[in-house]
Amino acid sequence: MNIYLEGVLAAMGINILLALSARAILATDRLSLGNAGFMAIGAYVSAYLTVSLGWDLYPAIAVGGSAAAAIGLLVGLPVLRLQGIYFVMGTLAFGEVVRTFFQNFEPTGGAYGMRGMFGTTLTMIYVFVAAFLVLFLALGRSRLGYVADALHDDDEAARSIGINVDLLRLLAFAWGGLIAGIAGALFAHYALYIESGNFNFLVSANAVLFVILGGVQTVWGAILGAVIFSLLPEGLRFLADWRLSAYGVILVGLMILRPEGILTRAMLRRLAGFFVRKP
Amino acid sequence: MTALLEFSQVSKAFGGVLAVDELSFTLDRGELVGLIGPNGAGKTTVFNLASGVQRLSRGEVLFRGVKISATSPTRIARSGIARTFQNIRLFRSLTVLEHVLVAQSCRSASLLTQMLPFASATDRTLRRQALAVLEVFGLADRRDELAVHLPYGGQRRLEIARAIATAPELLLLDEPAAGLNDSETAELSGILETLRAQGYTILLVEHDMNLVMRLCSRILVLNFGRLIASGTPAEVRGSQEVIDAYLGVAD
Amino acid sequence: MFEQQVINGITLGSTYALVAIGYTLVLGVLNKLNLAHGELFMVGAFTGIAVARLGAPLPVSLVAAFAVSGLVAVAIERSCFYPLRNASFLSPMLSTIAFGILLQNLVSQFFGSDPSRFPDTGSSFQLTLGTLTVSAIHIVILATAFGLMIGIDLLIRKTRWGIAVRATSDDAETAAQQGMHPSRVTMTTFFVSGALAGVAGMLTTLVYSQVTPHIGIRQGLIGMVAMVIGGLGNLRGAMIGGLAIGLVETMNDAYFSAGYRDLVIFAIFFAFLIVKPEGLFPAHHSR
Repeated sequence: MNIYLEGVLAAMGINILLALSARAILATDRLSLGNAGFMAIGAYVSAYLTVSLGWDLYPAIAVGGSAAAAIGLLVGLPVLRLQGIYFVMGTLAFGEVVRTFFQNFEPTGGAYGMRGMFGTTLTMIYVFVAAFLVLFLALGRSRLGYVADALHDDDEAARSIGINVDLLRLLAFAWGGLIAGIAGALFAHYALYIESGNFNFLVSANAVLFVILGGVQTVWGAILGAVIFSLLPEGLRFLADWRLSAYGVILVGLMILRPEGILTRAMLRRLAGFFVRKP
Repeated sequence: MTALLEFSQVSKAFGGVLAVDELSFTLDRGELVGLIGPNGAGKTTVFNLASGVQRLSRGEVLFRGVKISATSPTRIARSGIARTFQNIRLFRSLTVLEHVLVAQSCRSASLLTQMLPFASATDRTLRRQALAVLEVFGLADRRDELAVHLPYGGQRRLEIARAIATAPELLLLDEPAAGLNDSETAELSGILETLRAQGYTILLVEHDMNLVMRLCSRILVLNFGRLIASGTPAEVRGSQEVIDAYLGVAD
Repeated sequence: MFEQQVINGITLGSTYALVAIGYTLVLGVLNKLNLAHGELFMVGAFTGIAVARLGAPLPVSLVAAFAVSGLVAVAIERSCFYPLRNASFLSPMLSTIAFGILLQNLVSQFFGSDPSRFPDTGSSFQLTLGTLTVSAIHIVILATAFGLMIGIDLLIRKTRWGIAVRATSDDAETAAQQGMHPSRVTMTTFFVSGALAGVAGMLTTLVYSQVTPHIGIRQGLIGMVAMVIGGLGNLRGAMIGGLAIGLVETMNDAYFSAGYRDLVIFAIFFAFLIVKPEGLFPAHHSR
């Protein structure tokens, strides 16, 4: 496979994982603009394990992801008490704290970044994508999936039927952290070089944009969003230096035309009805 | 024998205004009690205090003799108090059947078992029970429709069905007949009688006086957050204070 | 030495305050975040540079930055907020991020991604007070920033427009019922908010020799920190928050380590949100 195409597909796979991580939290009616922080934790922890301690890649990815999830639990406890824009700003602050921490943290290279990681293959990225997608779909069909829908739709009514809204939000936050952490670990060992700037606010924002524009109602929307908006800048290459402007215009326009996202649940149901004839 | 629900000298202030003022009453098991009063008398606040949505300013709320006034809404729901809402609050993305299934998980299931797909034997039992509940509420044949697509009366009934699915001992119904037409109200009345016969304890906030007078064994009358009368329908109807505050003026 | 740092801190902080004011004004009126707000700072900085390169004197650059950033802010309101006024508060926020990407790219097209600098003002004037030296540039910045702060404070407290903005912040529906044109209030608020950020950007280019099209993100975040410290929706709180962050930054650089600057600022931000989300001076209508 040519290197350009492989690079685009790898970035797309990482973006899909980031979109799933953003969706995990959005599914509980909270928007996090700090998932790049989780990604950074997964990237730096796993890179430290493989480069400095000589670990194998897989255990390093597992520990990197778990570290991000653990931080998610820890940070989630106070941050999830915040609501609305306060929660958004709290997660934003978290992401920036993590980024600037790694910018200064010498054991993982500080401002010079880290190199010496290797081993992530395209296949590996997509195995993780497939695994998480299957998990999302399975959870969506479980009782927990309906419970999550309920608390997303109406917090107070969900509490009134005994749903532990706060616990579920915390777990979803950590679950999002885990996925972003694993995405970060994969990214670090694919990109070969990381620096704190790789995990800036725009990375978190993009993850959320994928989900919102792809369609927040279904998992497929998140995937579709990540795919389209990873490929779009490539498709706009004919515009040369103007392509990011076009990208911005398209995003703003889409938000106006389809505030619900491209793929809605009703649309998915119609599609399913078209292909699967009910008895 | 302790009362099922007890309000003891409960007050709730919003800013400087007392929405509930030194309110005391008890509910015994199996009773269907009406809670009436003019708009703004504090009826919904009573519900919010009993279900833990709001914290009281003074006093105590006891459920089965246990203090619940500092307990979270989730815990209170799990301990056996279910409620409906005055302005219907159904889940936008769930079907009729899913509303009941979701509410059932309140009493069952650790988080882990909730993560499994619907397959186990308990799940099949729960699903059968859910369908039985929908049968009672006349919603079984629309079980796969989105709840928000139900007609108004159906939505009101589904709210009660959802509450019942949590297997509560006490039901708090906030104006279940509001906005219903005559035949829907008759249907609701039948359902309430069934629930009473099944042994649920019910606290009913309602403006439809015919319904309240006919169904309730006892009626509490609130005005400006205070209990101004309580007794049988006949006693309440005869109380001059109640007539002045409420009955005489309104419908 | 310390006094010198205080002067520097207040100078820097006064530009942060201008950004924070705009943030909080928009938040008050719409209860939504404009995440492209930092880009208005960037647009102001580059507008100033462009005009100065044409040979115009400093005040012309200032006025141009004020006007252009103000107009761009109105464009943001019209394309990201107004069409999404009935959507969830999240949608416009994300839209503004996309608009920010657009602005960064457009400016890069005209100025390149490499740092640009403001043409030399040719002023070597310095005011010396004992051990303190205050350059002409500092005086220009302080005078402009504080002039604008006092101006906006008067506008908000004393004018019909200010009453409309405050009324809309308190209760948009009631304000609209009383005949205040919500769309007009929102647009003018955006203009003022953008204009102030633009002036702040322009002033900053005078001290810091070079700017890139990507400075907006940090400036926006700093403005947000200042707003939170001061208390959401509180105009004077935002001013004090801005000055405080400016002082923290210069003191950190002088006595601690410049490398830790942003870590310190964002740690304070995070701590405030967790411990005191209402800020130092809670606005009476904050939620």
